[in-house]
Amino acid sequence: MFRFSFLLAVCTMVVPGLLPAQGNPDEGKTLFANNCAQCHARDMKTKATGPALAGFLDRWAAYPQEDLYAWIRNSQALISQGHPRANELWKEWGPVVMTGFPNLTDAQIQSIEAYINGVADGTYGAVAKAPGAGALPVETKAKGLSWIWYALLGILLVMAAILGRLISGLNQLSAQQAGEPLPRQKTVWEWLTSKSMITTLIVLAVILAGYTTTKNGIAFGRQQNYQPDQPIKFSHATHSGLNKIDCQFCHDGARRSKHAVIPAMNTCMNCHKAIVKGSQYGTAEISKIFASVGFNPNTGQYIPDYENMAEKDIEVIFKKWIGDNHMTDKELKAMDPEGERLMNEQWRGIKNSLTNPTKPKIQGPVEWVRIHSLPDHVYFNHSQHVAVGEVACQTCHGKVENMEVVRQYATLSMGWCVNCHRETEVKSFSSNDYYLGKYEKYHQALKDGSKKTVTVEDIGGLECQKCHY
Amino acid sequence: MKDKNAGIWIGNRDLNQDEAYIHQADEQSRIRPDETGGLQSNRRDFLRIMGFSVGTAALAASCKTPVRRALPYLTKPDSLVPGIANYYASSYVDGGDYCGILVKTREGRPIKIEGNSLCPLTGGGTSARVQALVLSLYDTHRIQGPMVRGENNWESSSWENLDERVALRMPATSRVRILSNTILSPTTKKAISDFKVKFPNTEVVSYDPISSAAILMANEASFGRKIIPSYHFDQARTIVSINADFLGTWISPIEFSRQYAKGRKISEVSGAKMSRHFQVESYMSLSGSNADHRIQIRPSEQGAAIAFLYNAIAVKTGAASVVSPPLAEKAASALSKVADQLIADKGASLVVAGSNNRDEQILVNKINEILGNTGTTIDLNTPSYQRQGNETDLVKLVADMDGGQVDAVIVIDHANPAYDYPAADAFATAFAKVNTRISMSGTLNETANLCNFIAPNHHLLESWGDAEPKQGLLSLIQPAISPLFNTRQAELSLLKWATSDHIDWKSDAPYYEYLKSNWVQNYLNGSSWDKALHDGVFKYQAPDLASAAPVVIDLAALKISQPTNAEQEITLFETVNMGAGQHANNPWLQEMPDPVTRCVWGNYLAVPVMFDGVNKFKGAFDLENGDFVNLSVGNTTIETASIQQFGQLSGTLALALGYGRTVTGAAGKHIGTNAFAFCQQADGLTQYYNTVGSSPVKSRKEENLACVQYHHTMGVQDIDRKTGQKINADEAATVFFTYFGLAKQGFQGSLVERSVIRRANLSELESFVSELQAERAEFQHLNEQTLYPDYSDLYERGHQWHMHIDLNACTGCGACAVACMAENNVPVVGKREVSRHHEMTWLRVDRYYYGDVANPNVVFQPLMCQHCHNAPCENVCPVNATNHNSEGINQMVYNRCVGTRYCANNCPYKVRRFNWLDYMKADLWPINEPALVEGEDSPFMTDNLTRMVLNPDVTVRARGVIEKCSFCTQRIQEGKLNAKKAGRMLEDGDVKTACQTACPTGAITFGDINHTASSVHQLANNPLNFQVLEEVNTRPAVTYKSRIINRDESIEA
Repeated sequence: MFRFSFLLAVCTMVVPGLLPAQGNPDEGKTLFANNCAQCHARDMKTKATGPALAGFLDRWAAYPQEDLYAWIRNSQALISQGHPRANELWKEWGPVVMTGFPNLTDAQIQSIEAYINGVADGTYGAVAKAPGAGALPVETKAKGLSWIWYALLGILLVMAAILGRLISGLNQLSAQQAGEPLPRQKTVWEWLTSKSMITTLIVLAVILAGYTTTKNGIAFGRQQNYQPDQPIKFSHATHSGLNKIDCQFCHDGARRSKHAVIPAMNTCMNCHKAIVKGSQYGTAEISKIFASVGFNPNTGQYIPDYENMAEKDIEVIFKKWIGDNHMTDKELKAMDPEGERLMNEQWRGIKNSLTNPTKPKIQGPVEWVRIHSLPDHVYFNHSQHVAVGEVACQTCHGKVENMEVVRQYATLSMGWCVNCHRETEVKSFSSNDYYLGKYEKYHQALKDGSKKTVTVEDIGGLECQKCHY
Repeated sequence: MKDKNAGIWIGNRDLNQDEAYIHQADEQSRIRPDETGGLQSNRRDFLRIMGFSVGTAALAASCKTPVRRALPYLTKPDSLVPGIANYYASSYVDGGDYCGILVKTREGRPIKIEGNSLCPLTGGGTSARVQALVLSLYDTHRIQGPMVRGENNWESSSWENLDERVALRMPATSRVRILSNTILSPTTKKAISDFKVKFPNTEVVSYDPISSAAILMANEASFGRKIIPSYHFDQARTIVSINADFLGTWISPIEFSRQYAKGRKISEVSGAKMSRHFQVESYMSLSGSNADHRIQIRPSEQGAAIAFLYNAIAVKTGAASVVSPPLAEKAASALSKVADQLIADKGASLVVAGSNNRDEQILVNKINEILGNTGTTIDLNTPSYQRQGNETDLVKLVADMDGGQVDAVIVIDHANPAYDYPAADAFATAFAKVNTRISMSGTLNETANLCNFIAPNHHLLESWGDAEPKQGLLSLIQPAISPLFNTRQAELSLLKWATSDHIDWKSDAPYYEYLKSNWVQNYLNGSSWDKALHDGVFKYQAPDLASAAPVVIDLAALKISQPTNAEQEITLFETVNMGAGQHANNPWLQEMPDPVTRCVWGNYLAVPVMFDGVNKFKGAFDLENGDFVNLSVGNTTIETASIQQFGQLSGTLALALGYGRTVTGAAGKHIGTNAFAFCQQADGLTQYYNTVGSSPVKSRKEENLACVQYHHTMGVQDIDRKTGQKINADEAATVFFTYFGLAKQGFQGSLVERSVIRRANLSELESFVSELQAERAEFQHLNEQTLYPDYSDLYERGHQWHMHIDLNACTGCGACAVACMAENNVPVVGKREVSRHHEMTWLRVDRYYYGDVANPNVVFQPLMCQHCHNAPCENVCPVNATNHNSEGINQMVYNRCVGTRYCANNCPYKVRRFNWLDYMKADLWPINEPALVEGEDSPFMTDNLTRMVLNPDVTVRARGVIEKCSFCTQRIQEGKLNAKKAGRMLEDGDVKTACQTACPTGAITFGDINHTASSVHQLANNPLNFQVLEEVNTRPAVTYKSRIINRDESIEA
């Protein structure tokens, strides 16, 4: 019994034991998911948009480490410097440009390396999966003291068993002394199927089920860290991070309406009428905008009566655009098989992104996958928070400027809202005439110092009908 | 019988202290055996469902949330920000009915109608019908494209095909008749004249189903002008209306209500003045219920009453008399006193009549002339165009069609003679003889169904257009949404068929260009078109009317209608919601209670209430509410349900028109009975009364009597049968005490005489005010002894919302109730559910009688959640789903509510509503949806088209939760946010509730009572104020102003 619970304790606390010293693969995993996984396969062994990463250190072994880091931070610069390895890669993978990650520190890159190596040689994922004898811990850096509780539980169970035996022994003894016939010892089977045992098990099962149901019920519909693939591989990291475009340049509803607003396709076209090729995906992604609004990139003109254009005519336009670009990039005189492949592949991408069973036509708005979604009984107004409350977008949405693919940063649960309302100070309380005209006592208290700040809670920000109506 | 009951009553059940009445109060929250929506639950079911739901929850938790899509605009219009409403000025036009409106649109779809405060006629007021306009846009029974009559049924067609076929069938020589109700639009009239260029043999036949033709004819005879004058009820000190329901339906009720209320509001107690209103009528109309005196006459005595009044005035002013038909003595003595008052108020009085007899109207003109009102309260120089129809033309058309004199008939707008013409069968027979019959109706109706072609017109909210309700006042109609279906502007169809070259067919919006050029050429005179479009209304200098030579009328030759000797007579009238039946398929209007009878979903024959001489009141012919009777008039017999009606003169009956449609959507089909066939014709003019062949005989009982007069009652006293004590009916029904094992149904405290309504006569105003003040002081003193903690510090901090309702300005029209449904996504529940006390309206307009039992006065009281500071509902909620906030609002949190209904039970005002069924399809389980209406494939308000009307800022409630008035919290939040964003203080008028903006008389004021400059703060100090049930210490946030009437007690009526 004791041995069993010890094993159990050990298994649950197995942690990153066998770590390469230089980087933390756990951190690496998060970084990989946020930065690399859009292009590089997570198993490190299959090719995706970018190459399979297993053994990449070996491939860069001939060059100084700084070169690899420079490549990760800005690959195009390295190529233009004529770095042999960089050009080798460009030859194989161009025109797909590797996104630059200028913000990654050396330590972070090392963590990613550790993670990649761990996955590639099977040591990272395998540890958690097979807690066999081989994984017996040398050092137990348990998080918290959970193993003590398991040990205590084990000891208690053992003591209960021993006491049980003792009591039954004593009972027998006393019966023997009283000269009564010996009560028959219960077999293990009888003990297991006894009423009290079954009752206990049922009660435990009900408690467990109740706990699970409640827990899942509360989490139902919440989707923190939800990070779906979008029909267009729109990169906030490029637009907001690299190019420093203000959030509200495109999400222009945030300061004036309840909706932050997903920008209309014509907002994209403000810039992309000029920027017709992307830094990462070339013609593959931006063409989707053109196909949606009906812009002919070959001529630089909007297509008249695009709404009624047949799909095959649209196909001709975009295949020409993709092919022409390929030929220009490669300085080809005629289309090569790779160009053919590219044309078909990218056209398929356009078609798949812009159509679905309920929208058979290419024309029309892009159907983005909605990430942030509040229940219908919640009223949330962006302008209240952005324009009046002066809350930064990142407070609720995280560092979107670093996100290649947007993910839901906050839980968006009621507890999360309420906490913020409790802690947040009303910033314009002493400057906005709306507040100055009311709440005399607060203004007085702020003046005489008996109150340091006025929080959202103080002015009724926790009341039900401020958000539910 | 006079003042037999000095108190206030609802109907004869509480007057009789009927035992059944005692159980009314708790009816709303009582579960009946069949209440579970088809589930017959027992313990085993409970376990099964429980197990199922646990399983489902576990399953659901393990499943992935469905992928939701977010669609941006392709090209976003500049003027539009998603989440922010846009308002477009437009006009409500329905035949001759007019109202200047603003259409609120969200993300491009109209969701609410507001009044246009720039409109000089309505001043921002609306009516129930105007409020319901937006729902008719999303009517699932709208015709979706051009239709051609096939062999057996309608076949969808294309516009090209339809135009081709019409061109083939309608050569230029055709004798075309355009059949319509009143046409207010000058541009439509221009289109018709352009149509006549190709079809010179065209005539327009204009008629109004509820006709005012006699007024037009009488004014032609008296003044040489075939017009309806402008009336000024606000400038009249004495108002006499003979069968004209000017507050409800007559000509321009929104305008008249607004004027009327100006003369009725009292601000200062000392030297208070108000107009005196006499209503001469036989059935209780909305105007009659607001009158200070109702003088009861039989319908056929209308002419006699006018003649008597004329003679009484003529005698005293030395004018020539006329031969007066006999008039009942009581009415005659009252009318002679009325004559005295009219003479005393010479030049500041007004006599109007709803009579559709030309000679009677000439006599009314004569009365006003003698009284010097022509030129003061009656303005002949600014004619109103709101009634132009003349049914004699329709009579002639029927004869012409029958004689084969007509080749084509084009029916435009809501004209529906196959339903609303008294001789509808004769019309149908004659109509069938016409070769080409084209309807332009947007929905299928009785007349459209008889046509060969339907060229459906846009809905009003999809159209361009204009209206000239009064000379010199133009109003624009602009589209608020692109056409939902393949419809076409009616004028365009006409011009197309006429192959007119007066319109630019190549334009993107040909009718818009046509309209604009008409305005630029004829009206704008250099003014900005854009400004006119922005304002919605435009005033232009109309040419002066030719001064008419005074016409000498031979009074002796006038043909005044003679009273009949019939035992029973019947009045046929228009209701405020249904009109002439064109609104039948609008569920909001069907579910809006009639202001006076308080019935929904149907018309009920009003029978008088009789006093049996001992202590019982009962309906004439022993009819109970909801009894069906067979009623014969001439050769027509119809079966109709009946309702007992106070104020209905003995020997008379009344039945509303506009019901019993046979060809319309599922909501309006076969609701009530069509009474148009009962109307008679005299000299080609329709008369809205008749004699009844035999006394009505009870045939059967109505299954679901949907009359809300006894629903949600409060504060009405009753007698405990066992003890003989006076008790409170509501509490007797709800409170159940147990004394030492002995169950006893009893009552709390001894509050019997409750302050629900405060009323007084103007003559006793000062003593009333001092009594009221003393009583309120007493209440407030008692209320200080409270166990509640004092939260006044909290309420003083920021805003404190308060509402003030002036019962003197409220006419009971019900616009607020429909506005509330539109604003707050209040579900429609249908007749059966209403009959089970399950109506969901957040705002109800209670109707109480007082005074003389045979001829009572009426007071209307709009009642919504009172947002009590000491709210009884809040204390009893086990899950704290209803609680108070620092702004004084009683909050209802739907997602917390578990549906115990304790709050509804404990609410003394009975304003909380429970979602018994999933009326809005907000639930996951289809079993909770209400039963289907025959012919519908989903319940009301659950169709995707209809749901476009929902306000996106208000949660749609699921089954099993309580809901109630929120003081339009979404509007409060919006008002506050706008002020914050602009960095300014919240000003008076920044927040207006839906009921407030809908009100045509300005009876409702809302605002922050902590803001000393606000109008609600100032109104809250009026000495005439009271609070409902103030003695129970709920401290409501709604203050009412007492009902004051201006009765001359010397008049016996």
